[in-house]
Amino acid sequence: MERIPILKMGKFLLVSIQVDMHDRLALTLQDELTARIVEENAKGVLIDISALEMVDSFIGRMLANIATMARILDAETVVVGMQPEVAITMVELGLSLPGVRTALNIEKGMEILNSLLQSETQDGTEGSET
Amino acid sequence: MENRYSLLRIEIRYEHDVVLCRQRSRILAELLGFDSMDQTRISTAVSEIARNAFVYARGGEVLYSVEGKEKPQEYRIEIRDSGPGIPNVKDILEGRFYSSTGMGVGLRGAQKLMDTFQITTELGKGTTVTLGKYLPPSAPQVTPELIHRIVLELSHKRPQDPFEEIQQQNQELVRAMAELKIRQEQLEQLNRELVDTNRGVVALYTELEEKAASLKSANEVKTRFLSNMSHEFRTPLNSILALTQILLDRLDGDLTQEQEKQIFYIRKAAETLSELINDLLDLAKIEAGKTTVQVEEFQVSDLFSALRGMLKPIHLNPTVSLVIEDPPVQITLQSDEGKVSQILRNLISNAIKFTERGEIRVVAEVGERDQVVFSVSDTGIGIPEEYQKKIFEEYFQVDTPLHKKQRGTGLGLAISKKLAELLGGTITVKSAPGIGSTFRLIVPRVYIRPVADRTQTVTLGVLSLETGKPFELDPLKVPILLLEDDETTVVLYEKYLMGSGFQLIHARSIQDAWQCIEAYKPAAVILDILLPKEEGWDFLVDLKSREISRDIPVIIASVLQVYEKGIVLGAEDCAVKPIERKWLLEKLRSFEVKFPIRSILVIDDEEIARYVLKTSLSNTKYRVLEASDGMAGIKVAETERPELIFLDLVLPGMDGFETLERLKSSPATKDIPVIILTSKLLTMEEKIRLSERASDVLSKSAPPADRILKIVQDTLARIVQQGGSA
Repeated sequence: MERIPILKMGKFLLVSIQVDMHDRLALTLQDELTARIVEENAKGVLIDISALEMVDSFIGRMLANIATMARILDAETVVVGMQPEVAITMVELGLSLPGVRTALNIEKGMEILNSLLQSETQDGTEGSET
Repeated sequence: MENRYSLLRIEIRYEHDVVLCRQRSRILAELLGFDSMDQTRISTAVSEIARNAFVYARGGEVLYSVEGKEKPQEYRIEIRDSGPGIPNVKDILEGRFYSSTGMGVGLRGAQKLMDTFQITTELGKGTTVTLGKYLPPSAPQVTPELIHRIVLELSHKRPQDPFEEIQQQNQELVRAMAELKIRQEQLEQLNRELVDTNRGVVALYTELEEKAASLKSANEVKTRFLSNMSHEFRTPLNSILALTQILLDRLDGDLTQEQEKQIFYIRKAAETLSELINDLLDLAKIEAGKTTVQVEEFQVSDLFSALRGMLKPIHLNPTVSLVIEDPPVQITLQSDEGKVSQILRNLISNAIKFTERGEIRVVAEVGERDQVVFSVSDTGIGIPEEYQKKIFEEYFQVDTPLHKKQRGTGLGLAISKKLAELLGGTITVKSAPGIGSTFRLIVPRVYIRPVADRTQTVTLGVLSLETGKPFELDPLKVPILLLEDDETTVVLYEKYLMGSGFQLIHARSIQDAWQCIEAYKPAAVILDILLPKEEGWDFLVDLKSREISRDIPVIIASVLQVYEKGIVLGAEDCAVKPIERKWLLEKLRSFEVKFPIRSILVIDDEEIARYVLKTSLSNTKYRVLEASDGMAGIKVAETERPELIFLDLVLPGMDGFETLERLKSSPATKDIPVIILTSKLLTMEEKIRLSERASDVLSKSAPPADRILKIVQDTLARIVQQGGSA
């Protein structure tokens, strides 16, 4: 069965969606990803959708779900590489991705994650220090 | 013509198909000239609606087309399903409905992404969503050639990965399977129909067999009925004919003019009926295979001259000429002359019936394959085409006013056809209404007997009556010699003795008289004593002195009173002329007692039949004994030893065959000749069986019925003669 690979990069998980997903594949990805967050104790998830030519309501909802669940599991989600047409379409469609951070590309995405992680640790150290 | 170009059709059955739909819609959009923004919009919208179809209706189909042959053209995607329908579609589209699953977003979003959007949904029936986007002005106009190119490219566009390829193949497979399934259902349906039809055919076949069997038995019943009718119908008819003959012969006294007329009409009616029954019997006989063909050599010219003679009396209309042409060359046939003649008579009398003026022409010629063709052409009313086949059927009569004027039994042509077939030939007809008809009888010149045909024929004892010879001795009557020179007196005595049982033998001279005495052994002599030249007295003396004539009683009839002299010379009685009939008969009867009384036994269960025979024999020297069944008949035969027995075949209890058997096996009765007198239609076997035992077989109606008495008498005469010579 086809599946979308989930790569581990330090404290982050990296998912690059290269195929046009059907709905079940999307749901599988959602399940596997949450499982891996717990397993790897990941602090961040980077989802690259640069290969996606469209994001409809289901995929959009799936992305939002992943972000929500990751947050509950103490991980931040950044979606990167969205094509402008896709973005426009999503807006026209009336989709917003609540709780999902976006970045232009993987690099920017990593920066966001790192900075988020740092501020969190700082907060944590500050907290422990105080 | 449809104002659209169809592009593609995809079925949604699996999840992957949703992906395929949106990919295809994108590629098509690209090929049609949409920019990448619109491509995304279109594929997103299609993805939403296709997902709905898959999730809520478990599948459906997507049709891609380009609407409009001229600009502005519209790329249109129609997504159909036959699911449960969308209950609150209005709310959804107006944004008042928010689904927890996000469905509302899909529908509404799709509407926003496209230029045109139509949705028809019916609860329980399904939903159809039509999405459309106008082609950008920069895009080339869609033409059939472009469509062709697009479709070609689409099919060449191999899916990028094996999975997609499988997916596509799967699509095709599914389609093929669906078609196969439909085909199979059709086949099954067809097979069911065939099985049903087959069952029907089998049932029909059985029904046909039953029908055939019942037809066969019906035909047998018909033939049996006809055979039986011969006896049942003919017997009373023959009685009527015989009785009316007796009445018309005034054997029982005179009739008034009116009575004669009435009896004449009764007779005519009975004759008509008898004719009809004879026709029927002819037909039944032919059908039962009881008619035999009697082959002999004959000339057409002889046949024709006989026909001319026979037809003269019935051809009475002076405006119709009957021409029977002798053939230019002599034609000799070997066939049954009687049957050929019967057929031709039938055809000619038909022609006479239906021709009011003109000509009836009969010709004969040699046809192909050694056949002889007889044609009977008339200038009569003709037969309409639709009836020409049917006229050969039994009882068929052409149903037009003209034909109704002439009624027959409707059997003539049927019999003719059967007879022609019996001779190995056919009858054909050519006719035009108002112009005339031509009937053709085609028979083989030489009759070839079918293998199965039995050559045996039994001639029925129908005797020809030889008339005109002087003093043909009637064995039934008592011969009386009259010696008389006056012709008037002879005629008077003949009248006196007519129907009396006596036969007058007339001698003009004594020499004649002696010859007659030797030849006929008269029972009595009536003597005119005043003969010219010869002396009557001398003759009387001679008569009484010779051994041969001593016992013959003599009556003297004279104008003279000679009683005493006569008695002395040996005469029985003397009378003065003119003598009375009554006296003469009484005198003759008184002599009769001196001869042994001869008797004839009639065994018949029918009183009328016995009565007719008795009456017809009452004027003879025979006494008629009667018995109404076989047992009684045998008893009477043993005690009375009759001269002759008439035996009916159909009797109550013991039938005629058995009675005959018994009579012939008993020593007391075995020498008594038996004549079978029956109106039963006999089979060949029966005829053979009877011919061995009986002296003769007489059909009660084989001859014209009114001559039956005569024939009975003739037959009796012949048997008595044979008995005498044996």
